[in-house]
Amino acid sequence: MGLVKTLFRILAVVGKEITEVFRRPGAVLSLILGPFIILAVFGAGYQGVKKELRTIVVVDPASNLPKDAAAYQNLGARGLVIVDVVTDRAGAEQRLRAGEVDVVVVPPIDAITSIESGVQADLDVVINLTDPVQAGYASFLADTLSSAVNREIYRVGAEEGQSYAISIGGHDLSNVPPEVIASPTRAVINNLAPVSPSLVGYFGPAALALVLQHLAVTLIALSIVRERSSGALDRFRSSPMRATEVVAGKVIAFGLLGSAIAAISVWLLVTFLGVPMLAAPAAIALVIGLLLLASLGLGLLISVVSDSERQAVQLSLLALLASMFFSGFVLRIEEFQPAVQAGAYVLPVTHGIALLQDLMLTGSVSHPWQLAALAGIAFVLLALSWLRLRRELRPA
Amino acid sequence: MQVTRSPGATSTRSHCTEVPAIESAVAIRMAGVNKRYNGHDAVADLDLEIPAGAVVGVIGPSGSGKTTTIRMVTGSLAPTSGEILVLGQHPGQFNRRMRERMGYMPQQFSMYPDLTALENVDFVASLYGLVFFRRFRRRKAVLKLVDLWDVRNRRAGQLSGGMQRRLELAAALVHEPQLLILDEPTAGIDPLLRRSIWAEIHRLRDGGVTSLVTTQYVTEAEECNLVALISGGHLIAFGTPDELRRQALGGEVLEVTTTGMFDAGTLANSAGVLGARQTGPRDFRLVVEDAGKASADVVQAVAGHGGEVDAIREVRPTFEEVFAQLVERDRATREPAEAAEAGSAEAA
Repeated sequence: MGLVKTLFRILAVVGKEITEVFRRPGAVLSLILGPFIILAVFGAGYQGVKKELRTIVVVDPASNLPKDAAAYQNLGARGLVIVDVVTDRAGAEQRLRAGEVDVVVVPPIDAITSIESGVQADLDVVINLTDPVQAGYASFLADTLSSAVNREIYRVGAEEGQSYAISIGGHDLSNVPPEVIASPTRAVINNLAPVSPSLVGYFGPAALALVLQHLAVTLIALSIVRERSSGALDRFRSSPMRATEVVAGKVIAFGLLGSAIAAISVWLLVTFLGVPMLAAPAAIALVIGLLLLASLGLGLLISVVSDSERQAVQLSLLALLASMFFSGFVLRIEEFQPAVQAGAYVLPVTHGIALLQDLMLTGSVSHPWQLAALAGIAFVLLALSWLRLRRELRPA
Repeated sequence: MQVTRSPGATSTRSHCTEVPAIESAVAIRMAGVNKRYNGHDAVADLDLEIPAGAVVGVIGPSGSGKTTTIRMVTGSLAPTSGEILVLGQHPGQFNRRMRERMGYMPQQFSMYPDLTALENVDFVASLYGLVFFRRFRRRKAVLKLVDLWDVRNRRAGQLSGGMQRRLELAAALVHEPQLLILDEPTAGIDPLLRRSIWAEIHRLRDGGVTSLVTTQYVTEAEECNLVALISGGHLIAFGTPDELRRQALGGEVLEVTTTGMFDAGTLANSAGVLGARQTGPRDFRLVVEDAGKASADVVQAVAGHGGEVDAIREVRPTFEEVFAQLVERDRATREPAEAAEAGSAEAA
C-alpha cells in the first residue's frame, strides 16, 4: 500500500504541475511558439554579411598612384568601399575620428623601389575602433587589402616585364598571363559535411538546446520557490510527502512538458525553417531527454539555494548568460582557456548543443562521451538538489 | 429584586460545559519550551498539556508567539530548548503514519491559485495517501462541509478571502486527522463565517478530534474548552474560559443597584465578598466566590447596613477585559522581576 500511496503522491504532483502550466494559455503558447518565432525572425532578419567599411585612400601628391576611387575599388579588396581618395592624411584622420569613415588607407609612395631594394613597403591602415571584434574584422580586411595590393604589384610588374615578377626559382614566366603570376593559386573548397545548412539551419539545433535548458531551469526553479513563499512547502513538511516524491513528480511533469515542447519545436524547425535532421528521431529524443533531465537538475539546484522568486529569476538568467557565452553557442569552446572550458562542460547546454548539432546536421555523434557527461551532470545535480530539499522538508 | 445575567455579558458561556468530557489522554505536551531568534525569545518557558478531544485556543496579539508555537508542534521548527511530545512522538521524529494523523491549516493561503477548489483538495488528499474511492468521497464531503461544493470548479485564486480560508480548512480536514492544528483559521473573515468555522471545529471535537487553534480574536476564547493566553512569547494563563475569567478578576462579579445611596465599602468584610468597587451613588460591583450562592447573602448584608437592593445581577466580563487584566497583571509582575534580574546582572 505504501508504494501505491507513493505513486499517487508523485502522480498528484505531476498532474498539479501540468494543470497549472496549461491554466495559463499565454505561457503555453509562448513556450511552444517563442523559440520558433525567435529563430524565424533571426533567419529572416540576419543578412549574414558584415557592413562594408567606408574607406579613404590617402595618396601622396608626388606619387604616381591613381587618384580616382574606382581604381582602388577594382583591386578587389572585399569588405571595403572606397568613398574618397585624398592627399591630406591629417584631414582624412580627422574624418575618421568624426566617424564619417571607418578606415583610412595610406599606400606606400613608391612600393616598387622598396621591393627592388629588398625592403617591404608599408601599407598603413588607420582605424578608430574600440570594439575588439570590429577591430579584428578591420585588421582582417587590412590583410585582405594588403594581399590585393601585392597581387596588383605583381600583375603590373609582370605586365611590364619586371624581373622580380616574371622569374621564380630560375624559371622564365614571361609567357604566363600577369594575373596568374600575381595570383598563382586559388582556393577551391570541398566541404565533406553531408549538408550545407543555412545560418538558421546551423544555429537551429543550438538555439533549441539553449531554449530547452532555459525553459526547464525556470519552470522548475520558479515552481519550488513559489511553493516555498506561499507556504505550500510547509504543508508538504507537515504531510507524509517526501523530497523524493516532490523531485520525482516535478521532474516527470516538467520533463513531459519539455519533451512535448521540444517535439513541436523540432517539427517547426524542420518543416518551416528547413533545419536538417539527419539522425533518427529516437537518437535526437535521447539527447533532448538527457538535456532536459540535466537542466531540470540545474533548475532544482537553483530553487533550493534561492530564498526568493527574485533570486531564482536572477540565477536562472545568470545560467542563461553563462550558457550564451561559454556553451559554444556563439564562440567556440576551444577558444577559451582550459579552466573556462572545464566550466563550460559543466553546463548541460554545452553538450546539448554539440550533440544536437552533430545529430541533426551530420547524422552521427562525434564525441559519444558527451552523452555520458550529460547523464552524469543530470545525476549529480538531481542528487544534490534532492539532498537539499530533503533537509528542508525534514522535521526540524 | 431581580437576579439576572448581565445583558452586556454575551450569552455564550464556555462550550466546555456543553461538550462531552475530555479524554484523560494528553494529545500535546510542551515542557519548558523555548524558541530564540537572534537573541530574542519568540517563546519562553512554555509548559502546556493539551488533552485529547479538546478544542484548545492559543490566544494572543499579533507577534505574541502563537505561530512559532504551532510550527514547533508541527515539526517545522525545532525548539531551542525544552521538550515537545505530539501524540506521544517528538515532532523531529514524525514518521509518515504520524503525519497522516495530523491536519494542518497554515496562517497564509497556501493553495494553488490556478487550480480549482476541487483540484486543490484532491491534491492535498493525494499527499496524505488517500486513493480511489476514499479520495473522491472525502473531497466531496469536506467541500460540502465548508459550503464550497457549489464553487468546486472555480479557481482558488478567484475565491473570496473567506472562501479561501474555508478551502484551507477543507484541505486540512480531507484526510480525517485526529489532531487538527489551525493557525488563525478565522483571520480576516466576516463574523458569520467565523461562526460557521467554529461550528465545524465543535462538530469535529464531538467526533473526538483534538484541535489546537490560534487566534488573535480574544473573544473567540469562548469557543474553546481550554485557552492558553500568550503575550510576548510567555504563557500568561491556561485554563477554561471561566477559570481565566475568575483568575483575571479574582472571582465572579455581581453588579448591585440599591434603592438609595449606599457605601459599598461597608460590605468589604462580609462573608463571601472578596472585593467591592463603587460605580455610582446607588451602584457598585462586588467580587465574590460564587455569584449564584452569594446573591442572597449580599441582599441580606446590604439590608444589614440599612440599604435595600433594587437589582442584582451576575456580570460576565468580556474576554477582552479578561485578557487585558491578565496581561496587565503579568506585566506588573514580570517587568520588575526582569528589571531586577537585569540590574543584578549588570552589577555583577
